[in-house]
Amino acid sequence: MAKVYTGKDGRLLLDGIEQIKVSNWSLTGNLEMLETTSLGESQRTYTPGVQEFSGNATLLYYNDGTGRNDAATALKKVLRVSGVSDGDTVDMRLRLVEGNTNHDVRLTTYITSVSFGASVGEVTSAQISFQATGALTEVTI
Amino acid sequence: MAFPSYAPSSRSFSAGDYAYKTFQSQSGKEVRILYGDKRTGMTLDLGYSNIPDTQADDFVAHYDEVKGGFTAFTLPAAFRTGWSGDTAAIDAATGNQWRYSEPPTITSVRPGISSVTVRLVGVL
Repeated sequence: MAKVYTGKDGRLLLDGIEQIKVSNWSLTGNLEMLETTSLGESQRTYTPGVQEFSGNATLLYYNDGTGRNDAATALKKVLRVSGVSDGDTVDMRLRLVEGNTNHDVRLTTYITSVSFGASVGEVTSAQISFQATGALTEVTI
Repeated sequence: MAFPSYAPSSRSFSAGDYAYKTFQSQSGKEVRILYGDKRTGMTLDLGYSNIPDTQADDFVAHYDEVKGGFTAFTLPAAFRTGWSGDTAAIDAATGNQWRYSEPPTITSVRPGISSVTVRLVGVL
């Protein structure tokens, strides 16, 4: 059956927990290309180098009534009194849902930047950027 | 083994000079005495970017074979790849051969891929 995916199908899971009030996420994958052109060749040639994955997401700064605030949890990955250590990775799943089928990209990331603020007439949200470390751990898109 | 026969990705050649000595008097008059009739001391830098490690190690094997900078050698035509001028113009001049002026440098780029830099000097 034909299926057009929209934001309604999107989900974001951090450390296995589906985040509430996510307004967007995006993921970018890059492949570094190494030039192998030698003298005498008229066209550039390349070989694959290393890959890189990074992205960002926006979560509403929202308390669900039980004290749970996923945006605050994400913000605290960077906004903290103690420093960030090697173990402060986040198991991240970027998901598109189709019925009972999940289309996931799973990666181990560090939250590299966060920002949030308050403005008159606007809902407060938190923007987070992340950088993957290592290979993708699952791709079912 | 001979010098690896791969086309370089960069090449820089300096033509060297003839052996002469310059004397300058207090008046500024300069006298030059020529000691040889052959140009020497040409330098050649060859770069091989992003080649397989299995090719990169050939340069070290050749470096060992010629005992580093001790033994002079000739280069295969591949080092001139892309050069359309006189083949002798960027090679060791008459009577000269090449020797290593520095050990080959291997920079690992990613698993299995490295870049190699070779610096040679022409000697009589």
